[in-house]
Amino acid sequence: MNTCTHYQVQNDECEIFQYAVQHRLPVLIKGPTGCGKTRFIEHMAQQLGRPLYTVSCHDDLTAADLLGRHLVGPEGTYWQDGPLTRAAREGGICYLDEIIEARKDTTVALHSLSDHRRTVHLERTGETVIAHDDFMLVISYNPSYQNMVKGLKPSTRQRFVAMSFDYPEPSVEASIVSHEAGIDEATAGQLVKLATDIRRLTDIDLKAAVSTRLLIYAGKMLSSGCPARKACLYCLIEPLTDEPSTLEPLIRLVDAHF
Amino acid sequence: MEEVIGKIWDRWVTRQVASDYSGASVRLADLQAELTLYYHALGGAPGKTLEPADTRRVRLRRTGMQRVAGTHQRFALPWQDERSVRLPPSLAVFPSARLNTALYYWQVAMAAYLPQVHNWFADNQQTVLALIGHYPGLGRQYRELAETLLTLRPPAEDLPDDLQRRERAVAEALRNPGALADLPFARFDCFPVWLWSYPPPVTLHCVPEASDDSSTERDPGQRSPRQTRLEQRKQAQRIDDEHETDGLLVFLPDSLMSWTEQINLDRCQDDDGDGDLDQVASDLDLITVSSRRKATAAKVKFDLDLPAAENDELCLGPGIRLPEWHFKQGRLRPDVCLLQPLLTDDAEPVSLPPHLAGTADEVKQQFSRLGLQRTRLRGQPDGQELDLDAWLDDYSRPVKDTTRQNFFLDRRQHHRDFGCLILADLSLSTEGYVSDDCQVIDVIRDSLMVLAEGLDRIQDEFAIYGFSSVRSNHVRYQLMKNFGEPYSDRVRGRIARIKPGFYTRMGAAIRQSTRILDMQPQAHRVLLLVSDGKPNDLDQYEGRYGIEDTRQAVIEAQRQGITPYCVTVDEQGHDYLPYLFGRDGFAVVRDPAQLPGVLPRIYLNLSTH
Repeated sequence: MNTCTHYQVQNDECEIFQYAVQHRLPVLIKGPTGCGKTRFIEHMAQQLGRPLYTVSCHDDLTAADLLGRHLVGPEGTYWQDGPLTRAAREGGICYLDEIIEARKDTTVALHSLSDHRRTVHLERTGETVIAHDDFMLVISYNPSYQNMVKGLKPSTRQRFVAMSFDYPEPSVEASIVSHEAGIDEATAGQLVKLATDIRRLTDIDLKAAVSTRLLIYAGKMLSSGCPARKACLYCLIEPLTDEPSTLEPLIRLVDAHF
Repeated sequence: MEEVIGKIWDRWVTRQVASDYSGASVRLADLQAELTLYYHALGGAPGKTLEPADTRRVRLRRTGMQRVAGTHQRFALPWQDERSVRLPPSLAVFPSARLNTALYYWQVAMAAYLPQVHNWFADNQQTVLALIGHYPGLGRQYRELAETLLTLRPPAEDLPDDLQRRERAVAEALRNPGALADLPFARFDCFPVWLWSYPPPVTLHCVPEASDDSSTERDPGQRSPRQTRLEQRKQAQRIDDEHETDGLLVFLPDSLMSWTEQINLDRCQDDDGDGDLDQVASDLDLITVSSRRKATAAKVKFDLDLPAAENDELCLGPGIRLPEWHFKQGRLRPDVCLLQPLLTDDAEPVSLPPHLAGTADEVKQQFSRLGLQRTRLRGQPDGQELDLDAWLDDYSRPVKDTTRQNFFLDRRQHHRDFGCLILADLSLSTEGYVSDDCQVIDVIRDSLMVLAEGLDRIQDEFAIYGFSSVRSNHVRYQLMKNFGEPYSDRVRGRIARIKPGFYTRMGAAIRQSTRILDMQPQAHRVLLLVSDGKPNDLDQYEGRYGIEDTRQAVIEAQRQGITPYCVTVDEQGHDYLPYLFGRDGFAVVRDPAQLPGVLPRIYLNLSTH
């Protein structure tokens, strides 16, 4: 948390976020995996000097995991705030990553915090926590169409200021990869060109896209002398697919680029 | 005896003049899936697929021996049109399989970067330049291929002067792409340049396009010799195309084996929609009368093919107007299709056929075991596991309620909230035979029955429809069971009566199914399409138009929160289905006979996902 996180501004996202902060509005961030959503929130939290509570959602996440629960201590039980309650009580950004993975009844717990009430009721202790002025709720999800079935309840999503993220422009992405991985712009540019080609196959031949994160992994390997073909194969291609009929043409594609 | 000697002679003489390396031959069929993916990655049009190219005549100056052997007249050259990219069915240009495979990948890269060849010589060089500029690795590959190819081409010194100049120009252009702008004139074509793309061999409906080309329109007097010669080649190929690339032959090989009366149909001449009649009329001077007559004959024949009203199913209402996606215009054209809901009202109720009883029992068992969603309920009075959270909550309460000791986790079957519409392809292609005594339609019929038994067992709401089409104004949408109707012998009777006929206008059928599903209250709705091939119809629906329209219909369904899924018995499905339904949106069942057993399992996976 002490080192300042590098974040390359792509559009007006910082500005919009600042307005949302100013008016204490909750924010929803949509975007494909590894495009910089989490990095953006970390960056904003540092800019604002607020603590960040990140929760990665999963399908077994209960309301108690967010709000808090009783634990057993030496003198009997005591109440332990969950990350959401703690952020609301002490002020800070509560970031629920991949909210779509959480069950729908869990997300309903967010409703009273995400509208004008800005309160959360703890059923188990009977307490109603009024959110601190510095409290902010941020949720994110990946709207690729495989997630269509899960979706986010309209009543939940309508409570948020929503921002769409995507992979950065090629030139911006190249400079990010170059900066993060410590490789020259030309090599980073070629990596980004390769990624652009592979991304054309997303949702048709591939389930996931090459993320900026994976490009940085490949770049890091390249920077320490790993041959380009290997770095791309293990960092970009293998994470995407298991099917031999898909691997072969993608390896050819890598060969075409390097 | 004469025949044997003839064959030996033919084999010997062909081998004497062969300029390829059959030992290192690579087949397109083995690489097709990989090449398609590569093509799309390099930015090739997403709706296009790869197909084997027909051979075309190339006017080579043949040696005496080649003339005796009768070889080197026809070559399968790489080219493309709106529908697909055509590549040679096999490549044996280089002495090693590695290089031949690399050549396929190179040809695909060229196809992705050069969708239309206007000036063969200059365009190809420019594309090579662009490719090697963009892809350094591909540049190295190109140089290896080009160097090797140059050593394999017929030596220029042996050629007459004009051809020698041409050959040297091609060699220079291969070595230094972009170096030369014009191809020197010669009386013959030069040997195929396998690293380059070729323009389409001109067929009937390309003729008007060719005359629109600005380069040919300039001034007939100033035509370059090459263009004149090209047109001569067109003439030869026009005839050739009529005989060889019958649309039906390409798509329905198995039905043609057994049904000869379809062969008269040549949809090549009948590709325009009804709305383009004016265009057709204005083009009439370019299209010979005889071929027009043939097209009309085809149309008449097909309209007559529709059953007489009294023999047909009961029409429900006047029909439903549906839009269709026009990919070139990039918009939905409203009310293009007329979908006619039909009901087989005179079907006798039947019980489950005895030969399906075994499979149906198995499926019912599977469904009752796996098909039920289980959820974990917390704070229950009884259950399989302790709920520590609930106990802690109770423990920390100052005043305890001893009557409410709900400290268990229970896994319980959950109410299934699923709606499924099964849409079966009833087009004529389902008439093809799967085995000696079993047709695709039989398999589809059995699958529907078995799946319906399973769905009825777990009480998922479901409907069954079938579809086929004769052009846009008659999309037949046959009702077997709607959502409201209970599954009964009467429904089974309707399923038993399905028969193959007509074509596959998938988009319209999917759109109507989406509308029906959209009216259902369930949280999860699945559109399960059971098909045996690509979308196609008598008009322009064949090829890319049909694929793009179907894809659009699928996207519309997804937007409505419906999960479309396609189960196909078409082995070529891997080429186009990912584009239509997404990587996870389809299953290819290689042995159609297994469909009745596999389909329910697919449904279970889909609905418990």
